[in-house]
Amino acid sequence: MSTSKRSNRFLGWTLALVATVAAALVVSSVSVAEETKAPAGKIVCDGSTTVGPIAKAFADYFMKQTGVNVTVGESGSGNGAKSLINGTCDIGNMSRFMKETEFKAAVEKGVMPVATVIAMDGVCLIVHPSNPIKALTTDQVKGIYTGKIKKWSEIGGPDADIVIISRDTNSGTYETFAEKVLKEEKIASGVEYVTSNGAIRARVQNTPAAVGYVGLAFTTDGVKALEINGVMPTKRTIATGKYPVARPLFMFTNGYPKLGSPLHEFVTLYLTKKGQDIIDSVGFVPVTNYE
Amino acid sequence: MHLRTRKIIDRSATGIGILAIVVMTAALVVLLAPIFANGTGAFVFRGTAEFRKYQSDRFDRGDREVLTTEKETLRQVRQPVYDLLHKFEHQLKNDDDLDARFGAEFPKLKREVYRLIGPPPGEALSRLERDEYGATRWDRALVQADSIVHVQEDRGLDSHGFSLKVEGPRAARYKGTSLEPMFGYVEMHLAELLRPQWTFYPQFLIDNPQDANFFGGIGPAVLGTIYLTLGAILFAVPMGVITAIYLVEYAGQGRFISLLRTCISTLAGVPSIVFGLFGLAFFINTIHVSPSKSVLAGSLTLGLLILPTIIRASEEALRAVPLAYKEAALSLGAGQWRTILTVILPAALPGILTGIIISMGRAAGETAPIIFTAAVSVGLGVKPWEVFTSPTQALSWNIYNVSTEHEAVDQIRHVQYGMVLTLVVLVLALNLTAVLLRARITRRLSG
Repeated sequence: MSTSKRSNRFLGWTLALVATVAAALVVSSVSVAEETKAPAGKIVCDGSTTVGPIAKAFADYFMKQTGVNVTVGESGSGNGAKSLINGTCDIGNMSRFMKETEFKAAVEKGVMPVATVIAMDGVCLIVHPSNPIKALTTDQVKGIYTGKIKKWSEIGGPDADIVIISRDTNSGTYETFAEKVLKEEKIASGVEYVTSNGAIRARVQNTPAAVGYVGLAFTTDGVKALEINGVMPTKRTIATGKYPVARPLFMFTNGYPKLGSPLHEFVTLYLTKKGQDIIDSVGFVPVTNYE
Repeated sequence: MHLRTRKIIDRSATGIGILAIVVMTAALVVLLAPIFANGTGAFVFRGTAEFRKYQSDRFDRGDREVLTTEKETLRQVRQPVYDLLHKFEHQLKNDDDLDARFGAEFPKLKREVYRLIGPPPGEALSRLERDEYGATRWDRALVQADSIVHVQEDRGLDSHGFSLKVEGPRAARYKGTSLEPMFGYVEMHLAELLRPQWTFYPQFLIDNPQDANFFGGIGPAVLGTIYLTLGAILFAVPMGVITAIYLVEYAGQGRFISLLRTCISTLAGVPSIVFGLFGLAFFINTIHVSPSKSVLAGSLTLGLLILPTIIRASEEALRAVPLAYKEAALSLGAGQWRTILTVILPAALPGILTGIIISMGRAAGETAPIIFTAAVSVGLGVKPWEVFTSPTQALSWNIYNVSTEHEAVDQIRHVQYGMVLTLVVLVLALNLTAVLLRARITRRLSG
């Protein structure tokens, strides 16, 4: 008798679970039918790990000011573009411009990518602080990454094999680097690929013979940035265009955000004093009137 | 002779067994001890006055009056430091010679000092919270103070041609300038400048992270992990148990069925990142369960991931029910469905539950499936009615994020360890529940 009571309870539980799942599916399908875009009161960002610190600081500020929930995912510029194309984010953070193929895919899906340049950045070469090398030319960097230069001693450095760290190919930083420094030559085999700016910095921090490239904000804390073609990457040299591997950072939206909407306010935050202040203090170069 | 050989083999087998257990215990201790030791540091630590100030400003915690008095005391102790910095800054502006020597270094030094003891009121270097407060934890403060008082200096090259770095006092570099006394002052009065006190911060578990995890707790991540785990179970358990019942009680031995079994076994061996990509491609991009990444999409993906484990565990449990139970029920005239519900399922319950709870642990800890389907690094805690549309933070993903991708990994070690500890304890608690529940049900069934 008691067994049957227990089993009835079990049946009840199972039914409750099934009902909950069913309810969940119904509700979600309703909400999908209602609106394919994320509802107001919520902003979803995805993409570049370079833009990440800016987006996170913006999100923190914005949430405190407006109560709008801003979520930031950091999975690389390529993913930012993909999410925007698939309509699964409001803002695709990218550290490179969209490729033609991505534009095409977007337009085919009825998404109109609109780029907003929120800050400037430089792709900076970093080494361990104990590496006496202070400067490289773009040709030398290209030589290192294409495998022609294998030892630091070949370019006047210590007697050690160069440990080459690169970003993965999903990264906008990688694309910029490949385009502006490697000039589309192939990266040597045996290069270590990692998936974020932070990870490159961590690798270089702990490896005396390593070299890597990161966004300007990641050149602090235990790594040394190198002069490229005689120009040190600083906010000033990047803002004035002297640094050879400078690039803009983007937030891509689907069409121009509606005037006055939280999304509009968030995307144009970089134009305000506070926004510029944030960009400057997380270590990037604000786009207007930088002094 | 023969007997002796057998004895030797017997003993060595026992020896190897004991050795294996010892090695495993040692590995467990080596793994868990640092997690517990460092992880508790997120909850119990020596908090500085800056920590109390932050808690009061942001969360309205602490005794106002005590804090006001403390603020006044601190102001008096800190003023000399600010004065020295201001004086030197003023001199830099008017003295080209001095500016040439320290112009580049001083702003950085000033920032480091402000990061230690906080900026003077109204003089924050930026409006990021990390620039508005000093070091909140005494362990961080010691590191920070060290980077102010000491400086790395080059001492030639080593045999491989790397520079030798030697730590020297920074005061030596500023010898003869008006700033020189500051270094001694900071070193001497560090405790008075920050007033560290033992602090218990249980709210670490529920507070929102502030300013990219520099302050606050891990609330949204804990909540997200709970949602994702429960969601996965809600999805996988009914499916899994029903499948197992079908496979054990109804399915025959046909070719299709054995193919099905092979498929389930294969599913169990599919790498979790593949589930993640599948979740993105199917749940989000194809059938649009949610407009963006969401708890729902993540739960469904995790559910798929643990489905084979649950099917397998349930199948084994169902098979282990003695045939006599079934025969007895059938002979009493019960139908097959009734037999399954009233006799076989209850008897198999302990095994099924164990499978479910171990799967919960797995779902809570998995990172790869939620990267593309649910997880974000910043975002408020998700409310129950938002799970269908909102992406969430989750412990597993945020541990990865704050220990590799974050812009200031070294400064938030306590958050990383705190998250790891929380996740480990969560999984441990789940496993413990499995053990207890199983024991209880077995006792009840046999009694």
